[in-house]
Amino acid sequence: MWKVIVDHFPGWDVVLQAVMLLILPIIFNYLFQWAHTNLRRRNSLKDSGNAGDKSNAAENSSPHEQGQADGQQVMERYEDNLAWLKERATKHCDIHIREFMVGGENRAALLYVDGLYDKTLVDTQVLESLMNKGGEEGHPDDDIPVTKENLLNLILPISQVSDTHQLHQVVEDILTGTVALLVEGVEEVLMLSGSAGNSRAIEEPVSEGLLRGPRTGFTETLSENTALLRRHGRNESLRMTKFKVGSRVKKDLIVAYVEDIANSELVDEVIHRIEAIDLDYVAESGYVEQLIEDNSFSLFQQVQSTERPDRVIGALMEGRVALLLDGTPFVLIVPVTFSMLLQSPEDYYERWIPATLLRLLRFFTAFLAVFTPAIYISFISYNQGLIPTELVVTIIESRQSVPFPSIIEALIMEISIEILREAGIRLPKPIGPAMGIVGGLIIGDAAVNAGIISPFLVIVVAVTAISSFAIPSYSTGITLRILRFLAMFCAAFLGLYGTVLFFILVCSHVARLKSFGVPYVSPMSPFRWNDWKDFIVRMPLKVMNRRPIMMKTKDSSRRDK
Amino acid sequence: MLTEDKKITTSQTVVIVSNCILGSGILTLPRVLADSMKTSDGWISIILGGILIMLAGLCIVRLSQRFPGKTLYQFSRELMGKWCGSIFSILIATFYIFIAAFELRVMFEVTTLYLLEDIPRWAIIMSFIWVGLYIIKGGLGAIARLYEIILPSTVVVFVFSMILSGKIFEVDNLLPVLGDGIFPVIKGVSSTILVFLGHELMFTLTASMQHPEKAGKAVIIGISIPLFLNLVAFVMVIGGMSVHGVISSTWPTVDLLRSFEITGLFFERFDFFLLVIWIMQILTTFSILQYNSSLGFAQTFKTRMRPFMFCSMPIILFIALIPRDVNELFMVSKIFGDIGVVIFVILPPLLLVYAKIFKKGAVR
Repeated sequence: MWKVIVDHFPGWDVVLQAVMLLILPIIFNYLFQWAHTNLRRRNSLKDSGNAGDKSNAAENSSPHEQGQADGQQVMERYEDNLAWLKERATKHCDIHIREFMVGGENRAALLYVDGLYDKTLVDTQVLESLMNKGGEEGHPDDDIPVTKENLLNLILPISQVSDTHQLHQVVEDILTGTVALLVEGVEEVLMLSGSAGNSRAIEEPVSEGLLRGPRTGFTETLSENTALLRRHGRNESLRMTKFKVGSRVKKDLIVAYVEDIANSELVDEVIHRIEAIDLDYVAESGYVEQLIEDNSFSLFQQVQSTERPDRVIGALMEGRVALLLDGTPFVLIVPVTFSMLLQSPEDYYERWIPATLLRLLRFFTAFLAVFTPAIYISFISYNQGLIPTELVVTIIESRQSVPFPSIIEALIMEISIEILREAGIRLPKPIGPAMGIVGGLIIGDAAVNAGIISPFLVIVVAVTAISSFAIPSYSTGITLRILRFLAMFCAAFLGLYGTVLFFILVCSHVARLKSFGVPYVSPMSPFRWNDWKDFIVRMPLKVMNRRPIMMKTKDSSRRDK
Repeated sequence: MLTEDKKITTSQTVVIVSNCILGSGILTLPRVLADSMKTSDGWISIILGGILIMLAGLCIVRLSQRFPGKTLYQFSRELMGKWCGSIFSILIATFYIFIAAFELRVMFEVTTLYLLEDIPRWAIIMSFIWVGLYIIKGGLGAIARLYEIILPSTVVVFVFSMILSGKIFEVDNLLPVLGDGIFPVIKGVSSTILVFLGHELMFTLTASMQHPEKAGKAVIIGISIPLFLNLVAFVMVIGGMSVHGVISSTWPTVDLLRSFEITGLFFERFDFFLLVIWIMQILTTFSILQYNSSLGFAQTFKTRMRPFMFCSMPIILFIALIPRDVNELFMVSKIFGDIGVVIFVILPPLLLVYAKIFKKGAVR
């Protein structure tokens, strides 16, 4: 009996391996949990009172009903107010104060920031109307007393006017482009909205070019972006809710969704996460993306960013939620699934057969972009027997002069391609193509001639590089590029077996991911037959008569009947 | 939020059961059958065995449905009494560990034989176990989603590679039907049952289903997928290699695909595809078994699962390396298969009858 046990004892090295097998994951697990809790603590919800700033962007009113209660109130005497404001304005060299007389009687002052205010509006509508007090040119109408009502109703021909009692608020608002009007005898300060900061014309987005489809892209101005969404079609239920993000530098962020489609739990969750943002300055929608995503450790993006209004509208109609931040043309869409990242709006504009084939192609290229070098390495280093004999002979002959193992060879080429790509972004436009030729052709050819790499690898690297360009979303491309390097190391370590394990690991990770409660791999899993109509294949529009089930929309049918 | 992660859908149940059944068996079944029957009638045994397992699976489902929302580990105390139930649960959880170790070892043997000759053993095994750990750490919802991704590709690639082997398929190898009478077929059934073990997952899965009333349907579909694949594998392997050829081969399904070459395509041999998907299948079987065993220990001792997930890893590794060669491995597997048949095929109907007579659990 004892002999049998001793005979079958696998050896002390196995005991050591078993210990390692246990300890390494435990250490890793603890490190990960430590990092995770740290992150969560930093992200933890601090209700900074932003919730009070909700107001509907569609209304023509300024959103600041509730200012700070402790701010300076508007005082009775015009001189005091002006003096207070002047004192505040001395700190800002770009605040200008223009004093004048209303109809030759009441003193008044306009406060504005250079470059932000609408000069024509102030010159032609405000100053002219006030100086003439609503009457004909040169004939001041003396009968109208200067009161707030008369100013609003009879004298000022401006649509966006609001008033405030808070002097504190006045300075804050001026800095965003409104013009403040202080009139002797009027208790409030009138805020004339007419900000005309310079903005860019609507152009076709550079990062998401399409052959067919609208040529519009978002710009840096929030109001223009919301207008672009509105212009896509009359739809009363398109709700836009405004929030303020950033504690020191405040920025407007609009949450847009279609009220009777989007799942209200989803909307609540999005709003909840936005209110939890606690940062002094939110520079770009990428900040928002990283602050509200589910898993910060994942390589995969859980929020989609796009410059195309048609894409946003499409997502809204599927029951998703869009986030528009002032100052960036990139609009965020949540929740996102992996298949969305490989889809392009063009798929819906083209007829369904070509669209389906293109989608299949993209899934295939995503696979190629990650696994081609790994498969090359595992075939060369471990599993030569799996490829046709003639091909093996050719490859081995061509690799005879190469002094490195295949992983080094592949790394040299892949890293230089990555450098080229990174350099290509920085290069001025006229030099770009020339650099591509130098980098791609000359370095590749020279490297082969110098015997550093084999010609076969050049094909492999070229295929991967081109494949990763075929991915519609730039960030997804980056993800796949990182995964490619990991796959290469796995292949170098364990050959084809390592590649398979890596594939499962990635699949498993993706299966664990969720974006705002929606599994990242839907509709592949949980399997929903109906959602497959718009997944790898794109069925005819006549068949796609339901919204994605995974979104749990309020109105699941796309048809009236 | 938008998803209920604690519960799995009916199709996910189907997929998990199928993935668990599709393990090492698909590579060895043709040899085991041919060896024990010496005739080519194994396909009848496969069908009979599959049906038998479906019946056993239905018994398990009916039994679990009497205890809604409870897994075997939770209701065994109610069913058999406190001590008996706990011991039974621990036995089953330990049994899963042994089966997982066996799958791991089979995987190791096949990979070293066909894919990696000169890689150290620890590298292959440890990476495999760690990937398995990552999978089960995500919980049942994530496991189910992963399996739903893997199974369709498995079925497609497997059937595709089997169709390719039609090149060397000869119907004569499968004839005559029932040449030696019905007796060998019945003898073969006992071997096929071993391959189909995996239906016992319904003991735990039924409790986690969104619609437990569909569990019976799920287990039948879940068994018929591997039944179909095993049938295809057996027919193609015997048809391609003949009974005698199969007996002399350890992993006949792989050898079948290695025995022919198709010129004109990028790949000449297709065993590589089979091995790739088969490694994935073994990993799914392995990880769900490990998950179930951890679940069993955790629910019996009423603690968290994570410590058991971690601690079962070195134990599995150790057990997997105990058999000294493939023959010992198969000998051990036969013993465990027989135990499995007793626990999961013969016992459930008895338990069901017992529960019905003594009115244990919620009577529907």
